[in-house]
Amino acid sequence: MTTTTFIIRNALRNKRRAFLSAMSVAVSLFLFVTLQVALRELTIPPEDIGASLRIAVRNKVSLAQPLPVRQLQVIEKIPGVAAVTPFSYFGGLFRNESFTTFAQFAVNPNRFTNVFVEAKASSEHLQAWIKNRGSCLVGLDTMERYDLKVGDRMLLTGTLYPADLDMKIVGTYQGTLDDRSVFFHHTYLDELTDDPGTVGTWWVRAASAEVAPQVIQSINSAFENTSSEVRAESERAFQMGFVSMWGNIKMLIDSICSAIVFTLLLVSVSTMSMAIRERFRELAILKAIGFRRNELLSFILAESLLLSLLGAVMGAGGAAWIFHYIDIQALSGGMFVYFEVTERMLGSAFLIAMVLGVLSGVVPGLSVCRMSVVDGLKTLD
Amino acid sequence: MNPIVEIRKLSKVYAQGEIQVTALDNIDLDITPSDFLTLMGPSGSGKSTLLHIIAGIDRQSSGICKVQGIDLQGLNESALADWRNQNVGFIFQSFNLIPVLSAYENVELPLLLTRLGRPERRKLVQTALELVGLEDRAGHLPKQLSGGQEQRVAIARALVTDPALVVADEPTGNLDSESAQQVLEILQSLSRDAGKTVIMVTHDPRAAAFGNRTIHLEKGRFAEPSTSEAKA
Repeated sequence: MTTTTFIIRNALRNKRRAFLSAMSVAVSLFLFVTLQVALRELTIPPEDIGASLRIAVRNKVSLAQPLPVRQLQVIEKIPGVAAVTPFSYFGGLFRNESFTTFAQFAVNPNRFTNVFVEAKASSEHLQAWIKNRGSCLVGLDTMERYDLKVGDRMLLTGTLYPADLDMKIVGTYQGTLDDRSVFFHHTYLDELTDDPGTVGTWWVRAASAEVAPQVIQSINSAFENTSSEVRAESERAFQMGFVSMWGNIKMLIDSICSAIVFTLLLVSVSTMSMAIRERFRELAILKAIGFRRNELLSFILAESLLLSLLGAVMGAGGAAWIFHYIDIQALSGGMFVYFEVTERMLGSAFLIAMVLGVLSGVVPGLSVCRMSVVDGLKTLD
Repeated sequence: MNPIVEIRKLSKVYAQGEIQVTALDNIDLDITPSDFLTLMGPSGSGKSTLLHIIAGIDRQSSGICKVQGIDLQGLNESALADWRNQNVGFIFQSFNLIPVLSAYENVELPLLLTRLGRPERRKLVQTALELVGLEDRAGHLPKQLSGGQEQRVAIARALVTDPALVVADEPTGNLDSESAQQVLEILQSLSRDAGKTVIMVTHDPRAAAFGNRTIHLEKGRFAEPSTSEAKA
């Protein structure tokens, strides 16, 4: 027998309690890691390669307010602007779904790939799309999810616009962070809504990262004091604007995580204290035999750490494994594109488990250290 | 021959709130090596307290207790723990075996504190188990042993470090007469044949008869044996 064997035997002497203790840590850390990942995905959306050059231009009053088409000519002439496309969100429903599972945007096909450079489509698909006003380009993820193929019809029921779309799928694209969206001709939307004069937003590609801030300022200044003032901002800032609609979600999630960890600490300390209390007499015997206080404290801490780290492996490790394999997009109804547990999050979870293990063990451990052998021997079984 | 245990003016007082309880009152005692000393007396007489102080698991309030020439009061907690590991073997009424360890592993426990390697430990454990006649039960858990067998494992554990002193607190209290007989014979053999000093606390005059010397305590002091005990 070794000291390690002795510690493991003691940790598992009551298998049910050991299992439940480890599971309480596992479930709590699973929840903790899941919340941390969700928080990161909500507050720090992933960035495409071309994001640093892209600028979103929307109505200064509200994103829901359209912008006049005539602004295109002004924007194109601003120094530093490499490309610009109209970009209007349609928000239609596909098949019998009750909510939008993939976004649909009306754009100018000739300009689209100059702005969204990471979207890769074959030249054949692009040309087919450009030539056919009633066609659309569909992201590969949506094609696979709904088992669509080139040539199929894309029927979308309008929710924001008083029109339904009936388009032919002429091609597919991939290479962006979100290969689910559908892009179609803005002129088709204009015709259906009988409104050729407005767009939802403009998306601009700056010539370089260095000039991007200046471009933003120039665009804002160009339409200052007009009937359609704009807010131009980087793509990241535009995305963060959506996040801010959630309110202080970071504080909310951090508070929930803190409550989880605190509750787990109370449960762990209580469980460990009960387990050690039952063994006071045994520990007194070990003291009598010659085990020192620090040795007994080490045994207890090791036992506590063993159970909490086991829980961390099951909980945090389990979360990393599960989220690596599941289709989070399908599970979250499209709310999340990625759901990766980073090494830093795993490290945080294991650190919490270690601190938990130490704190859970130190409380009863110190009681054992303070206990005299005689008092311990008097303890009833 | 120098005594193995020398006690001079030893007192132990417990404070319970404002009340002071004297467990041992100014006693003197010498114990010769290889003695089999039994301590008898009514409950609360101080016999277990005296045993605990000699064994180094309790400290006196005043006076001197020297074991093998070492004043135990002068040792700090760590040194006292080391001293116990090497010099004292404990046998308790409730056996006090670790339930998740086999008989072999229970006996091996004190040796984990030594620098001995696994082969040396194995040899000592096997010798100790053979001494108590349980070499064929080495792999059994305590719950798989009878009360008498458990106590014999406890004796083996007490002997595995070859201590000079073996202390036993009511070792036959939870045993049937046959098992008690076996245990007492082992303890007697340790004193008579192995030269160990055995100090045993007991209520049972028949158990006390196995010793070569009996001391009676009453209210923390040495007393003469009562008439009823003499008849028993």
